[in-house]
Amino acid sequence: MAKYFDSSPSKIKYDDVPYEKKEELFQQVKSDIRFDDYLYGCYECGICVAACPSARFYDFSPRRIAQALAREDVELVFQQMNEDVWDCSQCFSCLRCPRGNNPGGLITIMREVSINNGLRTAKEALEGYSRIIYKIMSTGTQVSPDMLQPEAFPDWGPEVKQVSDNLDLWRRALPPETMHTTTTSWEVDEKTIVELYLIWSMTGVMDLIRNVDKNLHMILTDVMEERLEEAGYEAN
Amino acid sequence: MANDAVLIIGGGPAGLEAARGVAGLGARAILVERRNNLGGAPINERYAALTHGFRDAEEVMNEIIAEVTSEALIDVRLGYSVAAVAGSAGDFTVTLAKEGNGHSDVVNVGAIIVATGFQHFDPGRETQMYGYYEFDDVITLQDSERMLKDRNWVRPSNGESPKRVCFIQCVGSRDRHIGNEYCSKVCCGIASKQAIEIRQQVPDCRVFIFYIDMRMYGYWENEIYWPAQEKYKVQYVKGIVTEILKKGDKLLVRGEDTTMGRPVEVTMDVVVLSNGMEPSAGTKEMARVLGLKQNKYGFIEVPHDALNPTATSVPGIFVSGAAAGPRDLDDSVGTGGAAAMKAVSLARKLARGDLQLANASR
Repeated sequence: MAKYFDSSPSKIKYDDVPYEKKEELFQQVKSDIRFDDYLYGCYECGICVAACPSARFYDFSPRRIAQALAREDVELVFQQMNEDVWDCSQCFSCLRCPRGNNPGGLITIMREVSINNGLRTAKEALEGYSRIIYKIMSTGTQVSPDMLQPEAFPDWGPEVKQVSDNLDLWRRALPPETMHTTTTSWEVDEKTIVELYLIWSMTGVMDLIRNVDKNLHMILTDVMEERLEEAGYEAN
Repeated sequence: MANDAVLIIGGGPAGLEAARGVAGLGARAILVERRNNLGGAPINERYAALTHGFRDAEEVMNEIIAEVTSEALIDVRLGYSVAAVAGSAGDFTVTLAKEGNGHSDVVNVGAIIVATGFQHFDPGRETQMYGYYEFDDVITLQDSERMLKDRNWVRPSNGESPKRVCFIQCVGSRDRHIGNEYCSKVCCGIASKQAIEIRQQVPDCRVFIFYIDMRMYGYWENEIYWPAQEKYKVQYVKGIVTEILKKGDKLLVRGEDTTMGRPVEVTMDVVVLSNGMEPSAGTKEMARVLGLKQNKYGFIEVPHDALNPTATSVPGIFVSGAAAGPRDLDDSVGTGGAAAMKAVSLARKLARGDLQLANASR
């Protein structure tokens, strides 16, 4: 199938692949069981863009996502799978679409296909999330005060260093119960962590993690092995 | 002598409905049609399916024609045109001329309904950029209807089945240069209907519609527009094509994809120009013969398109259908019935000598 529109040749930051590969990725998106429920048709009313927080800050449009898929514009969909989909915050404000489309859900599918096919851009986009995933599996909560490090938040300015240097002190100064620790936010039941792991394992999230970060996957399975056994599950 | 007979000029959907309406009210109708057949544009232009419901145009029109021709109160005069009119509301003397042989008839009626309709805009007339007369594979909506009706939708240049087809909307409408500033009202729905039919008849053909606004009012939205997109995967591209060029044996279409914000250059096997409506030659001629005011576009002027859509500048002469402006089938048939009611009631009031009531019912 010839490409629908000539894409602008400028600013290609992702690895180009043969057209057949792009077509294959597109077909994977299209054949996802959720696809037909997420995309009906678009009359370009723009309400998804109006509701989209990311569209205010990035060159990003949920409408363009829906439109590119509806038009089966294989080249553009490939470009979006490498760029646009990572600008979405997955807040699903776009669900207010009067046609019943779900652009955010389409992005979920596109992201999963990107990850499952090992696109470099997916790995890069998700790099920063490895420590969050590790934090969840080790403590049951996705953020902890000690993650507040200057190199992780360069956009927050020099004040971050002041806070992170004396984190323990700041933490103790807070009025609410903070368990006097900087490595976790609150206490999480072992059972919750085990259940979360089982859900991730059964729904394919662990496979996604392996595709993005092999080392992290290995660490997580190690960490969980003992916990699973204690809870009466076999490691696999 | 005053009477309540009504002369109806034009045997298309509006005229047929007007005739049915007049007869239904118990008055005599004389239905004059210049051609030798009834049915108007759907029959003469060989339309495929009609909105709503996608029923076969010929089948639907034949049902209505059968009703009209079997009605004792309706006198159908095929092959006749109106040559002259004298008199006034309640008492018109009309000369009907038989086409070709010079024979003429004089009839006396109380009121007249003009239902002479529209003609399809000729896209070769002004918009040469689309090359309608230059390229065999650039066609009009009515050309496309004929191929759909024959179930033989092919590239006219070589008879092959097309792989990529696009429609260009608003050809001859909404254009100050051409002088037709109005929207022709039906082309969005008809193009979308045809796009569905093409997808049904040629399933491996991709269909695109380049548009300015899609005007799919009322049930056309859910009956045509949404199914075209959702079920038949017709691609709507917001942006109008500026020109069509030849590229090999294909047509190169140049425009802007305003949604994606970039220029577009794509090849097509067939381009369908969604040409709009203009007053038919018959409409212009009847306006002249009957002395009816026309608007700047040549359609017959009515006092108010919404509140009084069937009256004309001459008392006792009414208009229905697309003779009064771009109208879809719904509006044409609707105004056909409305004109019948107005015409008969006026003629009867005048026959009773009730001028006050007659003036009020104009």
